[in-house]
Amino acid sequence: MSTSINVNVGNVSLKSPLILASGTCNFGRELSEYYDLSLLGGISSKGLTIKPRAGNPGVRVAECDSGMLNSVGLQNPGVQYFIENDLDFMKESGAAVIVNVAGHSYEDYIDMVMTLDPHKDKIDALEINLSCPNVKEGCMTIGSDPAAIKLITSKLRSLTDLPLWIKLTPNVTDIKATALAAQDGGADAVVLINTLMGMRIDIKTRRPVLTNNTGGYSGPAVKPVAIRMVAECSQVLDIPIVGCGGISDYKDVIEFMIAGASAVEIGTACLVHPALPVKITEDLENYCTSNNIELKDLTGTLQRW
Amino acid sequence: MSHKQEYRIRLVSKEFLNSDTCYLGFECPDIANSAIPGQFVNISAGTVFLKRPFGIASVDKDIGRFYIGVKVVGKGTSEIAGFESGMMVDCLGPLGNGFDLEDYDNVILTGGGTGVFPINFAYETLSAQGRNVVVCEGFRNASQVILNKPSYILTTDCGDTGIKGTVIAGLDTISIDDYGKTLVCCVGPVPMMKAVNAWCADKGIKCLVSMEQRMACGAGICLCCTVKVKDDGPEGYKNVRCCKEGPVFDGGEVVW
Repeated sequence: MSTSINVNVGNVSLKSPLILASGTCNFGRELSEYYDLSLLGGISSKGLTIKPRAGNPGVRVAECDSGMLNSVGLQNPGVQYFIENDLDFMKESGAAVIVNVAGHSYEDYIDMVMTLDPHKDKIDALEINLSCPNVKEGCMTIGSDPAAIKLITSKLRSLTDLPLWIKLTPNVTDIKATALAAQDGGADAVVLINTLMGMRIDIKTRRPVLTNNTGGYSGPAVKPVAIRMVAECSQVLDIPIVGCGGISDYKDVIEFMIAGASAVEIGTACLVHPALPVKITEDLENYCTSNNIELKDLTGTLQRW
Repeated sequence: MSHKQEYRIRLVSKEFLNSDTCYLGFECPDIANSAIPGQFVNISAGTVFLKRPFGIASVDKDIGRFYIGVKVVGKGTSEIAGFESGMMVDCLGPLGNGFDLEDYDNVILTGGGTGVFPINFAYETLSAQGRNVVVCEGFRNASQVILNKPSYILTTDCGDTGIKGTVIAGLDTISIDDYGKTLVCCVGPVPMMKAVNAWCADKGIKCLVSMEQRMACGAGICLCCTVKVKDDGPEGYKNVRCCKEGPVFDGGEVVW
């Protein structure tokens, strides 16, 4: 029996479960210097907004035990520049093109989707970022409120046939409520999780290390939180889940899939080892061959006590 | 197409230059053969999560080695300074854009603190080409002086050795025939680079600076290490990546 690491997220077929997470790969160009991007399942673009954003000033990164805080603040060239300069590169990379859509208001998200929809032949899915913790308005503010998530998702649903993946924040009391709200609004998938909001303090100056005061915590430390949220949501959702948070090796990918993920996003680990997806892909193929399984059959096979 | 790679390299030499600064040599022919002054490497630092960036201080192409200087300032640099010869580390490099040293008759290299490491690489490269080069280095006091040569102009803040004052006092002693054919390269703390850039701007001398910023990936993908540079857009500036567009910038383009 031949085995494979192909997976599906709803109608989107991916040759591998590995997607580069938004904000950790720019638009893929820099990482293409290290490996052939076509081995990836997909690439999720840097979070894009209608107008270009300079991002936050000052110190944007604070290392932590087993991870890091960032407060980049959605620095991006704006969606129009992206369409003219980066979208074709992503399409030609051979990986599925996931465009990460951010905004400060309902109108921003609507404008973004209407701007991107005419280019749907080059886009495999829109990842709606309702979860960035580093901007003052929009994103996580909308993404913490189930009613707001359902409203914005249903509005965007009416504007495009492109698959809508809603990327959710873990900074909520009940992740099932926000995930169900996305599903009720017509989402095709949810992406769990964005970064956990955190702070580090310089004890000499008594000031936060980050000039933005707070930032988003990512890296191996957040993986158990993400796994728990994927497992919880997997019990109540009918739509697929893309797992994200602290993936560093092939066993992490398998853990996410057992918890209920159909695919995964990898990010912070690639900041340390840029070519890591090559190794993980090989290891996943070997795992499937050794165990004589199709990777996608692992999704949601968690055996609870 | 050949791809860049992450190297697993051996530490082959280590010596302490003063109480908190050491000089490390690594075996990596690819980096030794391709690096240019001003470029850096990103090195894994024991138990801490992120790699640490270091300007390349020297290369020896014959034996395939490159060298970096490490000043202990925190947990990561402390662990790296504690590495023993023979240890293997993960390394990305050479990274970033180095100094464009062509097209100038005279080059003045100036730096302070750990900035003297990339300055050393630039000096060795220019000397080997037989170019006119003057080096001016500044330190807090005599105990901090490292990698200094008798031919260098030396300044210290307290004046216990060399000229008393900052590198500006040292630069003022250099007689320059033609400002238009002179290049200044500066690596050091931001206040030093800002002052040197202003000194150059006043004379119409081109000034290249090597910026430093807290860095995560070193590969241009996380946008954490940005530097503010002038821009024609509505805001008058834009944030560019220190690791990718830099670390060397035209001092006249930086928003200080």
